[in-house]
Amino acid sequence: MASSRPDFLAHRSGDAVAVAVRDLEPGLVRGGYLDGDATEEVDLKNDVPLGHKVALRDIRAGEDVIEYGVRVAIASQDISRGDYVHTHNVRSARWQNSVA
Amino acid sequence: MAEQRRLTGYRRPDGSVGVRNHVAILPVDDLSNAAAEGIAALVPGTLALPHAFGRLQFGDDLDLTFRTLIGVGANPNVAAVIVIGIEPNWTDVVADGIASTGKPVERIAIEGRGDLRVIEHAARYAKQFLQDASEIAREPVERGDIVLSMKDGESDTTTGLGSCRVTAHLVDEWVASGGTMIFGETSELTGGEHLIAERCVDDEVRKRFQGFYDDYVEMIEQTGANLLGSQPTQGNIAGGLSTIEEKAMGNIVKTGSAPIVGALAPAEAPTKPGLYFMDTSSAAAECVTLMTAGRGVVNLFPTGQGNVIGNPVQPVVKISANPKTTSAMADHIDVDCSDVLSQESTVEQAGQALIEIVERTINGRITAAEALNHREFTLTKLYRSA
Repeated sequence: MASSRPDFLAHRSGDAVAVAVRDLEPGLVRGGYLDGDATEEVDLKNDVPLGHKVALRDIRAGEDVIEYGVRVAIASQDISRGDYVHTHNVRSARWQNSVA
Repeated sequence: MAEQRRLTGYRRPDGSVGVRNHVAILPVDDLSNAAAEGIAALVPGTLALPHAFGRLQFGDDLDLTFRTLIGVGANPNVAAVIVIGIEPNWTDVVADGIASTGKPVERIAIEGRGDLRVIEHAARYAKQFLQDASEIAREPVERGDIVLSMKDGESDTTTGLGSCRVTAHLVDEWVASGGTMIFGETSELTGGEHLIAERCVDDEVRKRFQGFYDDYVEMIEQTGANLLGSQPTQGNIAGGLSTIEEKAMGNIVKTGSAPIVGALAPAEAPTKPGLYFMDTSSAAAECVTLMTAGRGVVNLFPTGQGNVIGNPVQPVVKISANPKTTSAMADHIDVDCSDVLSQESTVEQAGQALIEIVERTINGRITAAEALNHREFTLTKLYRSA
């Protein structure tokens, strides 16, 4: 049933980012979580290709980025809900020299 | 649990079970590759395993090369081995190590003879080993007899969301059935290494795991290099992975939920059933070669962007949930689980489909990588030779 196919999926409730499961264009997109039935609608601000990430909430520069329920990055600039999230606005929290 | 499929394999003299029946021509060093390939050309059906190293190595690096060559020769997918080296001493070390499993081994050194005499001598043994191996019959085996390994490559976010979850379904079922599984990729646990440590069965295993992890990551961090583009790779980044931690979480997902019963040195073999960590690089050919030396007989390989790796001794089963990859690179994919990403099938359904393909591979199905002649055999080098 095509209408039930998600635009994005997040691993756990509470995650700050979700993954596009198809190529997405700006506008209203919807998705869900792997660990429950909750759904989410986001006003997407950028093109986000399949496999790339969407911010589910505002994240301030320097704040931890949570995915899979754990810290997977630190925001290197302020990020707003609906923004495209990748190496241009997050960096490794562990490997300090690993920056774009 | 569904009724189990009948499995067959080749039982070796040491009791281990293989799913392929190779006669391997194994050079001890780079200088012996030409003779090894000459023998395999004269006796088609044998398998030459050329590689780049084996000279003037010393210390831990030499030990690892010996352990890798012996382990690959001892792998139960190998029926018999011809060992060729430039000089007799190290040739004996490798040949004796393999012969301790009880399988047929012939050895010969090149110095004092030259390639052509070596080829003539060894080709007669190779012919006899091949004929003998052709009469070894498959017999019924159990999941508990089978050592599987796993590695993911050219990962992207679809591996963590799809193919690694599907692989985890198999891992949990395999371990529950009394089977053995090996995972690795030491640096690719960064950010989630505490999750692996928590699953180690006791403090001894946990301490050994933590030691491997700390040593490897210290070696990487000491360089001070910007690793973005190396780990994660350019392909990982193109697929949407932004950091090592995000990549690591996908790697960890595929290990399922079973307790970790052992932490293995590179190329070390498990000693009892269960889920094992092995200290390895995340480079696909290096990692799968070490897991082959660790006696893995089938490798499970989730991929996002489409890594094409194979191994000459251990069949590699490719699993992908990325619909672009399963379409554009369908030639390389054994299990398409992109329906999990669109939520048109469940992880359990896709996991059962994966188990079916893996069990058919055990029973003799040729994988995509085998059909396409991918035979990446790559030794892990710890440091420069003397």
